[in-house]
Amino acid sequence: MARTQVTIDFETSHLIFPTIIATVLTLLFLTIVIRDRSRIAGSGAYWRQTFASMDKVRFFGTLVLTLIYFWLMVPVGNMWPNTGMGFLICSVPYVFAVGLLYLHERSLRNMIPVAIMAAVAPPLAWWLFSYIFFLSLP
Amino acid sequence: MFEFITPLFCLLIIGGTFLGIIFGSIPGLTATMAVAVCLPLTFPLGLENGLALLLGLYVGGISGGLVPAVLLGIPGTPSSITTTFDGFPMAASGEGEKALRIGIVSSFVGGLISLGILFAFAPTLARFAIEFSYVEKFLIILFALTVMAALSKDLLLGIFSGVLGIFLSLIGRYDISDGGNGKMRLVPQEWDYYLDNGFSLLPVLIGLFGLAAILEQAEIGVPKGHSREDLKVGGESTFSFGIFRNQAGNLARSSFIGTFVGILPGVGGSAASLLGYSNAKTFSKHPQTFGKGEPAGIVASESANNGLTGGALVPLLSLGIPGDATTAILVGAFTLQGIQVGPLFIGNNPDTWNAMIIAMLLANVAMFMMMYIAIRHMALVVTVPKHILFPIILMMCVVGAYTINYGIMFDVWTLLIFGILGWLMVKLRLEVAPFIIGFILGPSSEVYFVKSLESFGDLTIFFTKSWIAVVLWILIIGSLVGSFYMSRRNADQNASGRAVG
Amino acid sequence: MTISRRNFLATSAAGAVALAAPSLARAQQLPRNVRLVIGSTSTGGDTYQNSSIVADALAEHLGINIRVDAVGASEGFRALGRDSRGTTLMMFHDQSYLGNLYGREGYANPFEAYTVGQTVSINPGNAYLVPKSSTYNSMEDIFNAAVAGERVRVAIQPGGVSEIGFSAMKNAANVRAPGSADNLVAVNTGGQSDKNQTMWDDLADCINGSIQANEQFTQIDDDTAMKFVWITARQATLQQAPAEGMGNTTREDLLKYATPATSVTLDGSQDFTFDKEFFFLFNKEMDTAIIDQLDEALTAIYTEGAIQERQLGSFFIPNFLNFADAQAHLQAKNETYRNVLAQIS
Repeated sequence: MARTQVTIDFETSHLIFPTIIATVLTLLFLTIVIRDRSRIAGSGAYWRQTFASMDKVRFFGTLVLTLIYFWLMVPVGNMWPNTGMGFLICSVPYVFAVGLLYLHERSLRNMIPVAIMAAVAPPLAWWLFSYIFFLSLP
Repeated sequence: MFEFITPLFCLLIIGGTFLGIIFGSIPGLTATMAVAVCLPLTFPLGLENGLALLLGLYVGGISGGLVPAVLLGIPGTPSSITTTFDGFPMAASGEGEKALRIGIVSSFVGGLISLGILFAFAPTLARFAIEFSYVEKFLIILFALTVMAALSKDLLLGIFSGVLGIFLSLIGRYDISDGGNGKMRLVPQEWDYYLDNGFSLLPVLIGLFGLAAILEQAEIGVPKGHSREDLKVGGESTFSFGIFRNQAGNLARSSFIGTFVGILPGVGGSAASLLGYSNAKTFSKHPQTFGKGEPAGIVASESANNGLTGGALVPLLSLGIPGDATTAILVGAFTLQGIQVGPLFIGNNPDTWNAMIIAMLLANVAMFMMMYIAIRHMALVVTVPKHILFPIILMMCVVGAYTINYGIMFDVWTLLIFGILGWLMVKLRLEVAPFIIGFILGPSSEVYFVKSLESFGDLTIFFTKSWIAVVLWILIIGSLVGSFYMSRRNADQNASGRAVG
Repeated sequence: MTISRRNFLATSAAGAVALAAPSLARAQQLPRNVRLVIGSTSTGGDTYQNSSIVADALAEHLGINIRVDAVGASEGFRALGRDSRGTTLMMFHDQSYLGNLYGREGYANPFEAYTVGQTVSINPGNAYLVPKSSTYNSMEDIFNAAVAGERVRVAIQPGGVSEIGFSAMKNAANVRAPGSADNLVAVNTGGQSDKNQTMWDDLADCINGSIQANEQFTQIDDDTAMKFVWITARQATLQQAPAEGMGNTTREDLLKYATPATSVTLDGSQDFTFDKEFFFLFNKEMDTAIIDQLDEALTAIYTEGAIQERQLGSFFIPNFLNFADAQAHLQAKNETYRNVLAQIS
């Protein structure tokens, strides 16, 4: 009976569960490495294949645009504190740029709906959330 | 007795439900947020009218979550994660309208069943709920975690993903308001400025399901989406109420599960739909169709998460203890009006109690009618060209992530981090569904596990605490055995059909 | 790497602000759009309610927008630390310095790191309860039990407002009989429902609670029933509460559980008290003209008198102290509790 008894020190109790989970995770990882060793060995080719067949412009374009969008939002918003302008000013070009990026035939006729969407959607969201629902935006 | 039913009362319910549906339908906005945003409006409205608005928002918000779950594969609220598993595959094959109709009918039934239970048994059930100590709550969470196994395509990789989810959910402080000691762990020194509270659930969720899905589409060049002709809408939809003929058991069971999980304070809403879903799969005659567009999966998920609505009000109104995050905000509506909630609430305020029941009933009916009519148009969302739809989704994900904790920029970065992680996971054949389940349930499994040992000081307590614990163990073992058996059978089938793989 | 890039962006943004924002010329006033962050993440809790009552009144009085954001303590302090323009203010309660006194991670000394400002209200509800069937009927019984060597387990959420009363109990026990404090043991748990649950699971003999959340349990008669043993508020505070008290417990009844009727001694001569007060916190570098403006506005609002009704309606006690008075008051409070904690550690 005594064997099953445990005393938990409250001050260090934040480490108990992470330790258990980390141990389980490591064991599972090792099992996977052993079971799937051939697949892992072939992963170089798999990734080369992935990158070769990838639409790099659209994929990395999305990432880069999103990164810039997130990065600029706060500094821009800080010029007009607590108005949500950072969100509004950054969202319009972002929505437009991502729209263009995903567009297949970039003719003027096809770009018009993208431009309209970029001009309408962010101000609408901004107005709704900052004025009607009174929520903070960057 | 029913003098509180005025045109304004009804209007507020309808308006609340409508707004709730919109909040629920937008990825990143939740029922909880809808209620929080409108709480200050209720002060001048008075208690009954204020509650009418808030309960409408609650019912609408929980139900609206199914729309993006089905059409976009992004759960609008954490409790509609399981709806994406079968709803999205159905939408992908043009059956979006059918999936939505199934979901709405199930939501409606779940809402009504739980409301009936709330009305008839609230005090009795609350008494039962407090029989659940740390130990039983841990076992309930553990039971919900076994769903990971049932949802895994590859058992080993699936469980690894789930445990990874738990691990990442532990990052940050051991939350003091849950009973932890407030100390930081698993955070590199330079990051503690940001990771103080770890990663928030909602940004993680929309990162994994929203941004990651868009990245996957970008990777393959954003192919053209559905056109109007691919969709089975209106007369072409194969929906009929006959679908529910075989689902009566599933509907009732899932609604009860949802209600019951709602009753347990501190277990959390997402566990409701998870348990409903896994039970439906276990009891199904053809479990292998789950996750590939099985209507029964939607039935289970949606009736369970709407079952939550009535359930979560049980401990609130009979003990003064909220059953989930949304009802926690409802407490504010009562205190704003100087009304106490506690064991005497129902007896002391029979009018308010009646008003709440009527409001919930009307909200469910309003939700059903509005959504049922709107479905035809909603289902067409997937025909919006992706170069229009995706940028808007991305922008709304940012709004949701930033506003969920009332303006924290790191939550927006979390969205990006988990978007990329979600894309990587698919490449590495890790599984997103078990991962998010681990992530959601990780913190409560920690608290209840550690607190059980801290309080009782003995490992055997998990088996000997009460008869409830024994029953829960039987369920846990049953669920695990079922999953292993199923995975073995799948492996055999795959082995016999090698040509495919 | 990341840090330097962040700094670079911050500096360039600040430069842009200086060039682009003429509105900053009149920085001595609260800007048109103010964000009031609070130290709690709950929008249903007492911090949010008190903050929104004050924010509404101020916004109307000054004709500006004030948005209350429930970002929680650590993010609230960070947001306050980042912004010295007066566009971000914070409202929180005694937890802001108690967290520091208890040595919790993430809590700086608010008197040094920030400027502690005006108090606005008190939540007088902090209380301790025992099961109705308990053999303890009063704090007196509990102290006597501790002296007699009986272990009394008290459920609290550690490291702040919920623990301070427990610390005071330990201190009082030692004043009465040195060493008897060792028999008062903390059961560390979370929010109110967790504390109640520890009582029902027989893991605690006494719990921290509140008048608002627990009063109804004192009016029932089953095995979930409770009874008050101590209310930590000052007598003067409770006397300002509505005469009908809370639920079926009148103000007269409530006073029986507070000093001087129920005594938890501080040093043998005077009693320990704790009022949970809500007050402003400002960025250290913020223009003091804004503080003056707030002093003026709040004085006018409290003289007018409507805000008091709203506060009392939600069982909060109006308690406006202007900047200078509030600073002196809160510093003194901080010192008292620092001493209590020094005595028992």
